[in-house]
Amino acid sequence: MKRRDFIINSSLASGMLFVPSFLQAFEKIPKNKLGHKKLVVIQLSGGNDGLNTIVPYTNDIYYKKRPKIAISKNDLLRLNGEMGIPSYMSPLKNLYDKGYLSIINNVGYPNPVRSHFRSADIWQTATDANEYKSTGWIGDYIDVNKLDSHMAIDVDNKLSLALKGKDKSGIAAFDAKLLYRNSNDPFFKKVLNKHHLDEHLNEENLGYLYKQMIQAESSASYIYQKSKTYKSGTKYNSNSFEKQLATTATFINSHLETKVYYVSMGGFDTHVGQNNKHKRLMTVLSNGLENFVNDLKANDTFKDTLIMVFSEFGRRVEENAGMGTDHGAANNLFLLTENLKKPGIYNNTPNLADLDKNGDVKYDVDFRQVYSTVLEKWLEADPKKILGKSFENLNFI
Amino acid sequence: MKNHHLIHLYNRVGFGILPKEVQKLNKLSTEENVKLLFKKSKKRKSIKVDVSSIEKVGLSIEDKNERRKLQQKENRRLLNDLNVKWFDQLYTSKTLLHDKMRLFWANHFVCSSNSTIQTIEYLSVIEKHALGNFKDFVVAISKNPMMIRYLNNQQNKKEHPNENYARELMELFTLGVGNYTEKDIKESARAFTGWFSSKNGFTFKSKFHDFESKTFLGKTGDFDGTDIINIILEQEQCSLFISEKIYKEFVNPKPNQKHIKKMAKVFRKNYEIADLMKFVLTADWFYDDENIGVKIKSPVELLVSIHNVIPYEFKRERYFQYLQFNLGQKLLYPPNVAGWPGDKQWIDANTIMLRLKLASSIAQQKQIELEPESAFEDDFETINKRKKNKAYFIFTTLDWQAFDHKTIGTKNKDWQDALLGTKLNKQTQEIINPLINNSTKDFCIAIMSIPEYQMC
Repeated sequence: MKRRDFIINSSLASGMLFVPSFLQAFEKIPKNKLGHKKLVVIQLSGGNDGLNTIVPYTNDIYYKKRPKIAISKNDLLRLNGEMGIPSYMSPLKNLYDKGYLSIINNVGYPNPVRSHFRSADIWQTATDANEYKSTGWIGDYIDVNKLDSHMAIDVDNKLSLALKGKDKSGIAAFDAKLLYRNSNDPFFKKVLNKHHLDEHLNEENLGYLYKQMIQAESSASYIYQKSKTYKSGTKYNSNSFEKQLATTATFINSHLETKVYYVSMGGFDTHVGQNNKHKRLMTVLSNGLENFVNDLKANDTFKDTLIMVFSEFGRRVEENAGMGTDHGAANNLFLLTENLKKPGIYNNTPNLADLDKNGDVKYDVDFRQVYSTVLEKWLEADPKKILGKSFENLNFI
Repeated sequence: MKNHHLIHLYNRVGFGILPKEVQKLNKLSTEENVKLLFKKSKKRKSIKVDVSSIEKVGLSIEDKNERRKLQQKENRRLLNDLNVKWFDQLYTSKTLLHDKMRLFWANHFVCSSNSTIQTIEYLSVIEKHALGNFKDFVVAISKNPMMIRYLNNQQNKKEHPNENYARELMELFTLGVGNYTEKDIKESARAFTGWFSSKNGFTFKSKFHDFESKTFLGKTGDFDGTDIINIILEQEQCSLFISEKIYKEFVNPKPNQKHIKKMAKVFRKNYEIADLMKFVLTADWFYDDENIGVKIKSPVELLVSIHNVIPYEFKRERYFQYLQFNLGQKLLYPPNVAGWPGDKQWIDANTIMLRLKLASSIAQQKQIELEPESAFEDDFETINKRKKNKAYFIFTTLDWQAFDHKTIGTKNKDWQDALLGTKLNKQTQEIINPLINNSTKDFCIAIMSIPEYQMC
């Protein structure tokens, strides 16, 4: 062992972190039982227009309802006999051609809500439309399996609801170094040092506070120490979305034991002048995904990484007067990894002849079926314990 | 009144207390102090901003969509102003009990809107009834335009009843889940049909109202919404439900059913909120050791309590909004109709680090990296730009003169008692002991950085 490695390891092992007795009481699941697969969730905020992303170019209703904003056949790259993808999304088409992309159509939930906030919460907490929950599905995954915070990282400065659990939550780490510096405050350490054996920490709320502090310190230190020497060989574009992806790739390629990463991209609420806006968004999204996948492939980590891309709802089939679209319901969802069971278009294309009373696409896959499949088949967790009830698994991995 | 009891009272019905006040108020008995809080709360103040700019905005623009967009933007700006006004009211509050009740009820009858005018109206309902009669309160809330829109009662018509309001009225506002049937929801939704909001406020549209007979919680009659509320309040469960919520907020997040039953009995007599609060604040058990220092401060409580010690002002107001967002509680922007769950849900690895650094960052004018807040409606370029600009906040004005004034005639130990309470454990005391001879300023910054300061 090199001397430098030794110093790092011993400082990690001892440092200030004597594990307090009250924390030892937690019976952790042995890490090797969790498998070595990683999940990257990408949330497109604002409601992505799935119909102008994956275009049903043989469907007359699509062109009839969108006389001004439909993507013409000539501007599409064909995915199969029915669906095409705008040519400005060619990077994603490359991934599709390699068999790395599976598109699930008509994903949604019963009684769809068209408010951004509510619908995003429903997706993040994995609840029914009329149920309010203050913990997210990834947070519940952490909590149920009693995992450390760094096992689910929100690549952001603020922890999203999706990663909040009851007693244990994930951690937000947009900048590992900064997070480490924050948690390494001398006063902070002094307080923790003094307290580690104090039985007062068994107290309900104050004890909980200290536990979160210990989690913050140990997770921040773990993420930083483990990832600080890695240099990516991939060149990313300079926008906030690709920055998040580059950070995620750094974490994955540094072999952090983290199971779930959460990334988000905003700007999808295209009520007015949609076409130019959506083109820019799709360019950023597909370039980002291609760079990210290439980075992972170069480090041989793509085969163990599943990327899931979703939005809180799709958009109305019919365009509005402002050359845009309004809030809709069911939408397509992307899954990307190397060994998909069914690459390509996974299920039936949206039925534009049978819309709900708002004129929106009806769902036929509950998004929690996707979660359940990912939890059980990819993260080797018990979906029922996390989602509260059983959902029929799909067959994409 | 004992110092630690007085501090406890002001932690719950206020945002803490400073040493000088302790010295003044400990001469009064518990009853006298509670009486004083009630007396002061009579001079309550409204939270308002001037909304005349909304009408004027975009008048010259022909395009309807463009104009609406500009008005939305103006509304967002005004709502931020309103948010700051609310904080200003808390910073300078002379009506602590009323202000605490207003925060409580705004997180009970939860509602939000992007209309500033409606928000101000809603806040005035909360303000008027915060220490008033609960029955009048529920009726007023049920007729509030913002609530009617928020919970879709505008769509509640005889032909197609919308159950949203009826459901939340029982589940979240009065009875709690499991104390009514799905049938009760359907029947009561019919009673609220035609309770609409119009430009001039509440309006009853008889042509959409279902005048037929309804059977609700065992009673039958041609009930309207007010009858339904009366029947709900006749249920013992309603008094228990509200009492438990008050108990968790003001006494202990861990409910004690024995005490809650006593509260409910007092409340049921005529549903006067002031009577209930008076009972709680003068009860012996309110001052039991097991109830002291066991609550995690909400972000609002934390920000206001720091401000009470070191008055700070933000260089850019936007950073204050980001800060609230990062702490997980932005006033006027509740997460959903269930409100902020509070307590442990305030804390995760990120928020605890931010909270612990907050007082020292404010006092030393240090930068903190914050996640810039984005609306769902923002476009990618705006969000991207905001994320690239390092989002930190810098506090420009600190009123140390005001602080110095507060320290005259006080000792560091007094500040420790007032800010942290008197029952610190040995280890925490050991951290504080070496600091006791520092300047009061440095000493206060240190004790506001200790985890116990997060409690109240």
